[in-house]
Amino acid sequence: MATAAESLTTFEPRITAFVCNWCTYTGADLAGTSRLQMAPNVRIVRLPCTGRIDPLFVIKAFERGADGVIVSGCHPADCHYTAGNYHARRRFAVFRELLDFMGIDTRRVTFSWVSASEGGKWRDVVNETVARVQELGPFEAYHQLAGRQA
Amino acid sequence: MDTLFITRENLAALTADLLASGTHVAAPTRASDAQTEYRYVTDFAQVRLDGSMPRRSLKELFLPPTEPLLRWRQHQGDVELQEVPTSFPPTVVLGARPCDAAAVDVLDRVMGWDYRDELWFGRRAATTVISLACPGVDDLCFCSAVGGSPESTRGADLLLTPVTDGYHVTVVTDKGRSLLSAHPSRFGALPASGPLPAGPRIPAPGPLPLGQIRTWLESNFDHPLWHEVALRCHGCGACASVCPTCHCFDIVDEPEGVDRGTRRRNWDTCQTSVFTLHASGHNPRHDQGARFRQRLMHKFSIYPDKFGEVLCTGCGRCARACPAGQDIVELLGRIGALAAGNGHEKVEA
Amino acid sequence: MKELQVLARKLLAEGSVGVVIGYEEGPHGVRPAFITRSEDAGRLVFDPRCVHNLATYLSPRRSVVKGLGKPAVVVKGCDARAVAGLLRESQLTRDDVVLIAVRCGGVMQHPAQHVDLRAETVADRCAGCDVREPHLFDFMVGEAPTAPPATDRREARIRELEAGSPADRWAFWQQELARCVRCHACRQACPMCFCERCVADKTQPGWIESSPHPRGNLAFHLTRAIHQAGRCVDCGECERACPAGIPLGLLNRKLALVVAERFGHHASDDPSVPAPIGSYASNDGQEFIL
Repeated sequence: MATAAESLTTFEPRITAFVCNWCTYTGADLAGTSRLQMAPNVRIVRLPCTGRIDPLFVIKAFERGADGVIVSGCHPADCHYTAGNYHARRRFAVFRELLDFMGIDTRRVTFSWVSASEGGKWRDVVNETVARVQELGPFEAYHQLAGRQA
Repeated sequence: MDTLFITRENLAALTADLLASGTHVAAPTRASDAQTEYRYVTDFAQVRLDGSMPRRSLKELFLPPTEPLLRWRQHQGDVELQEVPTSFPPTVVLGARPCDAAAVDVLDRVMGWDYRDELWFGRRAATTVISLACPGVDDLCFCSAVGGSPESTRGADLLLTPVTDGYHVTVVTDKGRSLLSAHPSRFGALPASGPLPAGPRIPAPGPLPLGQIRTWLESNFDHPLWHEVALRCHGCGACASVCPTCHCFDIVDEPEGVDRGTRRRNWDTCQTSVFTLHASGHNPRHDQGARFRQRLMHKFSIYPDKFGEVLCTGCGRCARACPAGQDIVELLGRIGALAAGNGHEKVEA
Repeated sequence: MKELQVLARKLLAEGSVGVVIGYEEGPHGVRPAFITRSEDAGRLVFDPRCVHNLATYLSPRRSVVKGLGKPAVVVKGCDARAVAGLLRESQLTRDDVVLIAVRCGGVMQHPAQHVDLRAETVADRCAGCDVREPHLFDFMVGEAPTAPPATDRREARIRELEAGSPADRWAFWQQELARCVRCHACRQACPMCFCERCVADKTQPGWIESSPHPRGNLAFHLTRAIHQAGRCVDCGECERACPAGIPLGLLNRKLALVVAERFGHHASDDPSVPAPIGSYASNDGQEFIL
């Protein structure tokens, strides 16, 4: 972990979070209104449901400079649209293994269930993700991609 | 044309000299799946001069699969354009196939036609092509059928012909001569006894009736042949990607942030369904028959019409690459027969 | 193959189909054939060079093929899985096609000029095949086949990659994908890539850059792989079609192993078996979710 003296030059990761409106977004809002202290590195993109989150969103986030990504939604059985999170669970179980197989460190991607009342959990997910990605460093490999020609 | 001689050792030394002086050297090399491909080398040991056919052609050295045309940056209301260089570092191609070298010369016509393509000609100016005479690859080769030959010097600055102890070196152009003059110790006179050419050759096919084929193409736009042949075509463009003369490209603007981006040109192919798709939704080439016809017509009718020669050098890669078994030699033979009125040719609609 | 030719002749003569899609001898090996007249049925062959997945010609976007009328199509077991996939995903109804299943003991990795089926030449996917006699058919032809020669070079390569670090795998795929020029032969040859307008061709918005640079190529191949997960029938056409020699079979096979391990799913020639992505179970694994 960085000391106070080192923190001035510590890399600050850019994290994009794709969250569902009904659970995680509301939970994140609760974290805010409860004045919970958390790392400011996360930009939230709100979707109606994790079932709407396309793996392409994750790819695009990395293309556009994200060092890490969070995908978060309602717990199983709590989906506002009944089964969207079940579809997401399967889809991302597979996508995560695909990312790993192609050499993208899956420690850069966090998946979580955070409910509307779990402000504290959201804070923990954010802080843990930021710390983890901070240690991995900037995702240079992805960010430098187009510059290299065959 | 002058002919000199170079031993294999001296060819290796010449390559090392060129690399040491900062010249880029591209040559056939062994790919990760044991196929051959043209790539830039860092050592003569990577060069493969065994006559194996690189899976793609030389065109990507002059027209890369993707290249930036310009970059932009916005500052408030202003846009700053960053031009790309049109002069390039010196490059030598070592071991080009004669069909590939000839194709580059064929493409010079369209690249210098209504607009002089600075990027294409910039790379052409910087590149010296050393062709390697070809023993033939397999019975899909047909360079001799379209006016070429396995020893063609077209598009080459020097031609190497493999012989027992090294290579005969034929000087084709002044650029080739300059390369020799810059490296005089590597080249020698032809040995007095004249070593015999190495290895047998695959028989080269006889010429196709290109004029008759062109005439037939011009007057048979709606012939049922197109729909028949297009049945197995996937519309994939594998043929266009390996073809030494296919050169269509797409231009895209690629944002790379809110205030910057790159305009690029990328290889494209008339074989895809979206190639002629209009913004209105109308598509003048709306089925694979129309698209397949277009490729043949461009090569054997439209290009000859504009530039006096076919847009094909007979390398056979399209037939080798096609996953659906299309065979351009067979097709040209059928069209030739139709054109000659050997009309027992049956075509299934 | 006589049995096949006789059947094709009969189907065409009686008018129950407009075309028999099978394999014929081309000038340089076997290739797909579209027989519309019963007198041409003698062109049909079947042997271990018949690698091509003819189910790809059943896609609704192939208007020239549709124009020939109701097809009968020669299918090996792997091809029958693709037909089942098309039925499962409502691209076909069962009555739209007549299936001539062929008993198959393995095909060659490459449709070469001569039959020479050995462990070194057999297609990657054939080892352990459980559909040598397809279950989805209207007619069945051919001799009861022996098992194909065993190979596991693809699984071995996958294990080798998995044993390396993410950085090693990244370097491997970047090197392989560097050759991709986005010709999309993999997509066009695939029977399960039947979208009339592929997401990779869309520009408003443009999710996948069309440029064949490393960034665009990675986006395309990640997307195609995830879109094929659980749907790919392992016919090998994508890898065979690729003119740049990219080992796409590794990607698709890896995801097939993932859905097998996680969801017990195996590509099936039974259209009533649901695809794993698009369905779910309440007890699906979620060990990766905080």
